[in-house]
Parts: sequence; structure tokens; C-alpha cells
Amino acid sequence: MARSFKGKVAIIQFPGVNCEYETADAVRAVGIEADLFRWNEDPVLLEETLAVILPGGFSYQDRIRAGVVAAKDHIMDKLSRIAAQGRPVLGICNGAQVLVESGFIPGIHWESVDLALAPNVMADRDGYYCDWVFLRNEDSRCVWTGAFARKEVVPVPIAHAEGRFVTGDSGILEQMKKNGQIALRYCTDRGGIDGGFPVNPNGSVENIAGVCNPDGNVLAMMPHPERASWLRQVPEDLPGSWGRKRNQASGKFERMEEPGPGRTFFSSLLSIAGHVREKSGGQGKEAGR
Amino acid sequence: MLKGTVRITGRTDSQVLESLREKGLNLTLGEARRVCELLERDPTIVELTIFNTMWSEHCSYKSSRKILGEMLPTKAPNVVMGPGEDAGVIRFAETGDGDWHCVVIAHESHNHPSQVLPVEGAATGIGGIVRDVYCMGADVVGVLDPLRFGDPEGDNARQTMAIARGVVDGIAQYGNALGVPNLGGDVVFDRGFDENCLVNVVALGIVKESRLIRSRVPKEAAEKPYKIVLVGKPTDDSGFGGAAFASEDLAGEEETNRGAVQVPDPFLKRVLTVANRKVLDLAAERGIAIGFKDLGAGGISCVTSELADAGGFGVRIDLDMVNVAAGHFPPAVVACSETQERYALAVPGDFVDEVQRIYNVDFDLPHIYHGAGAFVIADVTVEKTYSIVSKGDVVCEAPVNVITTGIAYDRPRKSRRIFFEEPLLQEGRSLHDDSLKVLSSPNIASKNHVFRHYDSEVQGRAVIRPGEADACVIAPLPGRKTGLAVAVGGIPRYGIIDPYQGGALAICEAARNVAAVGAVPSTVTDCLNYGNPEKEEVFWEFYEGVRGIGDACRGIGLLSHEGHPLPIVSGNVSFYNQGESGNAVPPSPIIACVGVVEDYSKCRSLRFKTEGDEVYYIGQPLDELGGGEYYRVIYDTLGANVPEADFVRERNQIRTVIEMHGLGWIKACHDTSQGGLLAAIAEMIIGDGKQDGPGLVLDLDEFLPCGLSAEKVLFSETGGFLVELPPGIEREVLALCARNRVKLYRVGTLSTASKLEVISGGRRLAAWEHRIMREAFMNGCRNIFGVGKGD
Repeated sequence: MARSFKGKVAIIQFPGVNCEYETADAVRAVGIEADLFRWNEDPVLLEETLAVILPGGFSYQDRIRAGVVAAKDHIMDKLSRIAAQGRPVLGICNGAQVLVESGFIPGIHWESVDLALAPNVMADRDGYYCDWVFLRNEDSRCVWTGAFARKEVVPVPIAHAEGRFVTGDSGILEQMKKNGQIALRYCTDRGGIDGGFPVNPNGSVENIAGVCNPDGNVLAMMPHPERASWLRQVPEDLPGSWGRKRNQASGKFERMEEPGPGRTFFSSLLSIAGHVREKSGGQGKEAGR
Repeated sequence: MLKGTVRITGRTDSQVLESLREKGLNLTLGEARRVCELLERDPTIVELTIFNTMWSEHCSYKSSRKILGEMLPTKAPNVVMGPGEDAGVIRFAETGDGDWHCVVIAHESHNHPSQVLPVEGAATGIGGIVRDVYCMGADVVGVLDPLRFGDPEGDNARQTMAIARGVVDGIAQYGNALGVPNLGGDVVFDRGFDENCLVNVVALGIVKESRLIRSRVPKEAAEKPYKIVLVGKPTDDSGFGGAAFASEDLAGEEETNRGAVQVPDPFLKRVLTVANRKVLDLAAERGIAIGFKDLGAGGISCVTSELADAGGFGVRIDLDMVNVAAGHFPPAVVACSETQERYALAVPGDFVDEVQRIYNVDFDLPHIYHGAGAFVIADVTVEKTYSIVSKGDVVCEAPVNVITTGIAYDRPRKSRRIFFEEPLLQEGRSLHDDSLKVLSSPNIASKNHVFRHYDSEVQGRAVIRPGEADACVIAPLPGRKTGLAVAVGGIPRYGIIDPYQGGALAICEAARNVAAVGAVPSTVTDCLNYGNPEKEEVFWEFYEGVRGIGDACRGIGLLSHEGHPLPIVSGNVSFYNQGESGNAVPPSPIIACVGVVEDYSKCRSLRFKTEGDEVYYIGQPLDELGGGEYYRVIYDTLGANVPEADFVRERNQIRTVIEMHGLGWIKACHDTSQGGLLAAIAEMIIGDGKQDGPGLVLDLDEFLPCGLSAEKVLFSETGGFLVELPPGIEREVLALCARNRVKLYRVGTLSTASKLEVISGGRRLAAWEHRIMREAFMNGCRNIFGVGKGD
């Protein structure tokens, strides 16, 4: 039976990615079908895909630099056409690094690499850093953040060594702002913008955590929304309203299985998919684990 | 005709020894002669190399097997598979259709490799242990790393911290790239590890009982031809002699030793993991019986002989079919090197093409990693002969059970007599300052700085993360309430004073840790780290530790099945942990405990939650500060009064806490051991540093019945639990504790004041603002790891 991605979200499985299964589960939890697409399958399969997600991990071992090798993969030609048609494309963590290395983001000049995700700069340490952070939904054209309230504060975990958005050209940053491309900024639990560690966990310019293309259908974000898609995933001691909600759900299994803060990234797809309501709770069938 | 025979019979002892050493073999003279007896002829160089590995301490447990067998309980109603294969298996939750979800667990050490090459050594530790769990057919859902380093302020501080940073980096590099969440572990510093660090690693997996895969050629091989497929990294000479290296004293020649450390590759492992899953699923779907085993110590020779022998078959290997890396490697190296990231499958001949297609075409191994792939290297034979052919020559040929038969020694032991002494406590010391010193000791302080290097969120199953409570909890079954808790235990300084208590208390502590989140301790693994077993006093320490572990497992028991012991399903023995000075590390049995939680939503972080709630202490502080942090930090001494494990008390306390969780009473829970009551209370105020909890006034008059001085009440390391309970249920609490025969002390009421106060006789002994405690606790460990220090 021929595989088809019609009406589904395709999760691109480059060799070395490692978040593909839980990302597919997080999509399914909003009632949209998701399936894995192995990098060397026939790109024609993606002809009618609803959306594409590049999940986190270490594609091609992060050889040379995170995301570089995957950015040169033949499948990127197909993704470029999908993006140009206005279909939603999301890059999470390593997926964001691929989108930046391939020039999809910021996408101001056609496939020109105008941004970089540089090694983290942190107060007392180097390298990899994994923790929960807070994001603020900025005024942008991004379709992936469309279901959040204006300036909503969203706790989500990060886990990366190279996540610092930088650009050598201050003109690019100004243009990104003018175009409404800054989709997410790191903030305090109350939504304040503080440039210091750990509020800004990697030293990103202007606390940028996620950038979309000028049309708003492609988003590159370093944090992992699939790891914050159920309330049970939120740490009990996290400050802010989600932490309180999680705390109050203790001992109540059904409430713990309710959506977490990151779910909204995926439910933003519903307006595109034409789905009327979000599938209630529960984790979808696992993708061939 | 056998090729490459080494003459042993008829030669003098010194000639044989010289020949062995010249070939880089560690076999003793007696062992070499024993090889000749078993084979009834002189061995080939390949055969000698195989025995050299198979009879290493690391592979054969030749010094320990007898004692482990006699002392440790391994059977219980929840055990599916005890020690013997790569990992142990227990039943975890019913599937609802007659099957069981099982937990697979394995526990190993990677001490010597981490000492000489910390990054690679620690990384391969993860790489090796996850293979042991994957090859049972399981998905790996977590790893833990119990680590022991030298004194960060001692004579060897620079090297100690360089090793510690390297090890943490190696664990992060491998685990994060593989996509397996890190569920913590612990970090302990002591000068006894100045010359030899301990890097243990635990891996946990989940598999349905019906989908367990055995490390053996299936019986179907009697009816149709089976082949052995080798998959993964091309074989090279890395890690050649690794098992033997782990089985001798660590001496100066670091260059030589480094060659014995394997080269890890988490990228290839990740792709293999995804591809393996496809192969296993396809085999299950078609009902094809297969065998599956990872390559670790001893490489191809070990994996093929054990697969064949366990199934009752023989095997004929053609070394020319092995994919090797560039370069020329002699047959002994190809047969025995410990190249990482390889597995062996026993599959029917008519399934080989599909297996190779999945690895070599779908997942394109030969192109994404130079030289990698799946290759048929051997035929399974009904005749039980183990033979290896290279370039048309037979280089090894023997009955397969001769290859796998072990060797065992009865080692003599002699108790060690050292006089330990309690310190004379000084009058007039500042409780305020001393407490902060204990709280900022790297053994007590938050390990947040270390844990944030690790990805604990990948797979999306985390409920309680490292540092949030005494155990980590994951929800591994989608849509199900059942949770899996895991924690480790093992305080080296207890074992220095009394190796029996060291073993017993490690079990108690690990079990207490999982009970603190409401989980029923359901199985344990042991990694036994000691010095040279040929030394009688070291062997006595080992014997005593194992005796303590066995007694504790039987004494605490399996709460879910009355009358049965807490079973040990997997473990590892690591001897020869000593440095150039010849001093062995402190006796260090390290225990991992798996707990089953009925409803994960009831698991709470250890941070105090709500003003007005009551805090109780379940337990009885005794004059047991020996081997503890207060004596170490304030008096720089061990003391003598090591905590004495009382299994009935431990069991009753654990049962009480689990019952309180089940009743939904517990808002926060933390065990008291290292650092004692005061450190535990401070930790419950600070939590993992994300936000402070309420304050507390601790009235020592409540503890007058203990008959101890303030210092001893506050810093005693007798095991117990602190719990936060809602107000208004005091009567029920007292009744429950009386029924379970546990002692209960009321500690105080949580208040809105941001401080902790200790009072006695209406007088304030000391008070600390939250901020002061937080700084001490959050920075104590971070400061010694800090960037640029000691580099």
C-alpha cells in the first residue's frame, strides 16, 4: 500500500534526530495525523502533506556544525517548495538549526544564510544546557503561535548547546522586527524581558527564542513544545500560573493528562487543517516504537 | 589444520609466562595450563586471546561468583529474569490483554576507562549499558549515573575536577545525542577516590513480556538454517583488551591503557536503535524467532559463543566476512576487539535479505557511517563446535561449552581491624555557620549544575526530574497511571568504618529514596566497586558488603508480595579499583532501586508547599554521625558510630510513607540520611532552586525523648523521612504510625516567614533566611565545577 501524507503532518527523520516519536505524539494529541518521513524516502510522498516538522536531535551527528549537513540534504528542495506554497513548516531545536542553516529563516533574502545559532553564552558554564524557560508570544505573523493569547507566557523546556540567535548584520534584525518575524522571546515567569542568564538561557540577541519567515508559515524555535504538551510534563515547582496549575493537579490523574503549555503550538494547526475541535486528552498511538 | 598454535605443554613455567606476557595476555600460568587441559592440546593464539577475555575478572566473575550466588536473593514473584543475561527483568504493569509491561534494568561500571580518558570512558559507559537493555528487545527510557570522585579540595584537586568535568561531559555527549533521558544518579566526593574515580551507569528499559528477546540462538535453528548477522560499526582494534584492562590494577602506563578504551558513537547508535526496532517489529509481526545480543567485552568471540551455547548450538565464523575498518588486523584482534556500537542477531537464513535491507538500504548504514552495515558472519551449526576460520585457515576450534565455561577461585579473606573513634564535640561552636558549611558541602549541595548538562526531558515522559525529589519518576505507558521511580544509593564513608553496613545501608537508602515519592521498591541492582580481590582484606570488605546487601534485601523485603525478598536482578562487580599508591578505593557497593508507583499523579517534589501544613519526622535520630557529613566537614574525621541498618525499622518506615502517599496525604517528602535532619529540612525549603517553599520553626524540645544533644539530633544520619501533611489529620497520622510501629516526631508548622529557625527550651539556637540557605545549597557544588577553575 502506497504511503501518503495527505492531510498529515510529516515529521522528517534525518539520521541522528531523536525527538521524532514524541513530536508525532504531540501532533496526534490535537487530533491531526502525523507520520515519520525517513530522509531517503521519495519526496513525492510529501506532495499533499498538511505541514512539516523538523524535530530535535543531532541530524548527521552535527558534523561540521549543527544542522549544516541536513540543510544540504536533497529533501530540502522539496521542503523549500512546500514552504513557498505557504504550508506550515516548524523546526524545533536541531530542526531550527537546519532551517537557519538552509536560509529558510529569516528568509528575507531567498535562501540566504543571514542568521546563525551560535554556541550558548551562559553565566557560569559552557556547552549543553537543559532546563525549563519561559517564552513570551510576541506580536508576529507566525501561524504556529496563532492560537496563543497576545503576550502569553509559555513555559517550555530547552536542551541545546548551540541556540544563541545572532546576526552579523544589524539591518537584518531591524527588518525581522519590522516584518513581524520575532515570534518568541525568553522572559521571566511574569513575562518580563531580562537579558541575563538564566532568563535568557543562551545569550540570544534580544532574548529571541523563535523566528518566523516574512510570510509567517515557517518557524524556527529552540525550545521543545512537544515536551510541554501534557500538564504532567510541567515541573511541580515551576513558578507562574502553569506551575500552580500543575501543583493543583497533583493526585488527580485526569487533570495531569490534560494539555500542557506547549500543546498550543500544535493546536495552532487546527485552523489550517479545518479541524473543528481539539481531540480531548490522551496520548496518540506511538509511531512504530 | 589449526593455524597459529602457541606451545605451552612441555615448556617450563618461566617460558610459558614469558610467552604470555610477550603476547600481551594476562592469563596466569595456571590458567594457561588449564586451557591446554580443556582443549586437550596447545591452543592457538586466537583461542588464548579468547580465554584471556572470557576468564578476565570482568567477564568471568571468577572471584565473586560463588559469594554472590550464596548471599544474594534473586528470585521473587515479580521477577521475569534474574542475573545471567545482559539485563534483569521484572513485571511492572498488566497490559490488560494477559501480557505484562516489564522493566529491564542493567548496571555497570566504567571506572578505569573514565580515570584515564574521562570523556570517552564515561560516554562508552552509557553506550555499553544501553545496549544491554536494547538487546532484550526493550526501549531504553532512562539512564542514571552514580559518580564518585576524589576530594575537590585535596592534594589531587586539579586532576579530580578535570576528571569530574570530563565524565559529566562524556555522559552528556553520549546520552543527549542518543535521545535517552538522564534520570540523575548521584555524585559523592571523597579523598579515597583521588586516584581511581568510580563511574557507574544504570539503564532502564520497557518491553512487553511477550516481546522479550533472549540472547540465544532460538531452538528453531535445529529445523532450519540460521545465520549470525553482525550489524553496526566496522570492527577495528579499539578497545582490544578492554575487559582485561578493567581487571587489573590501574598503573602508570596511561598510553597503553588508553588504547584499551573504546571509541563511542552515539549518532550511529541512534540510527541503529531505530533500525533495530524495525527489524524486531518485523520479526514479531511474522512470528520469526530470533536471538539478539550486543557486543561488549570480548567482541565477536564472546557474543557468538554465548549466543550459540545458550541455545545449545555450535557456530562457524568466517572472519573474512566481518566488515573491518581500514587497516590490517590479525584474526585475534578481529575476533576479540571491543569496537563499540555493534550487535549480533541470530536469524533464519531466509530472513537475512530483509534484515540486511532494513539496515543497509532503508537506513543506509554504509553511507551514513563509513564502513558500517549488516553482514552475515557465521552459520549456526547443530554440532556444538565453536570454530573460527580466517583466510581459509581454522584459527579456533573447540566444543562451544569449553569456550563459555568459566573459571572460579575461592579467594581467602581476612577481616581488617582498625580502631575508629568518635570526635570530642567542641563547646560553643556556631550552629548557624556549621550548618551552612554542611549545606554547601559538595556531597550535600544541589547537583543542579551537573544535572543541567543532561537532557532529562527527551522522550517527554518525565514527571519528576533529577533534583526535584529523592527519586526520578517517569510515566512510561501512554495514558496509564502507572509510574516508574528510580534512585541510587551508596555512601562510601560508611563502608570504610564497616563494610557490612556500607552494603546494607546502600540498599536501605536506595529503597528509601523511591519510597519517598510513593513507589514500592520492587527490584535492585548492585554494582560492587572494590580494590584488588587478591588482597585478603579487600576481599573481606567485598564479602561483608555482599552479606549486608543480601541481609538488607531479605530484611526490607518486597512490600507488594509479603514473605519475599527485594530481588536483585542484575549487577556488576568491579575489582582492582586502586591507584599507583596501592590504596584501594573505599568499599563502594552502589545500588539502584526501581519502584513501581500506582498513580504517578500522587508523586510530589520534595519542596515544602503550603503555609499552615504540618511537618513530621518519621524515624528515630540515634547517635549515628559516623561516616557522615557533619563529622567530615566540621571535624575532618570519620567518627565511629556508623548508622546501623535496622531492617524492621526501615521496612516499617517505608511502608508508612507509601501508605501516606496512597491516602493522598503527602504534599512533600524527603528522606534523612547524608547530612541529617537539618540539611534535609533546608533542602525541603529550597527544593531544586526554582522557587522557595515556606519557612519553619524547628523546636528541638520535641526531640528531647531521643536524649541527644542538639548537634546530634540535627546531624544524625539515622535513616528516616520528613513529610509535609495537611493540618487536621493528626489523629489519623498517629494511628497509622502506631499501627506500623514507627516513631513519629512533630517538627513544626510551615509559616509565611522566609526563614528557618531552630529553638530549644524557648531559646533560639540559630536562624537562617531562605536566601542564605539557597546560596549555600545551590552554589556548593557549582563552585567546584565552575568554568575555568582548575583547568
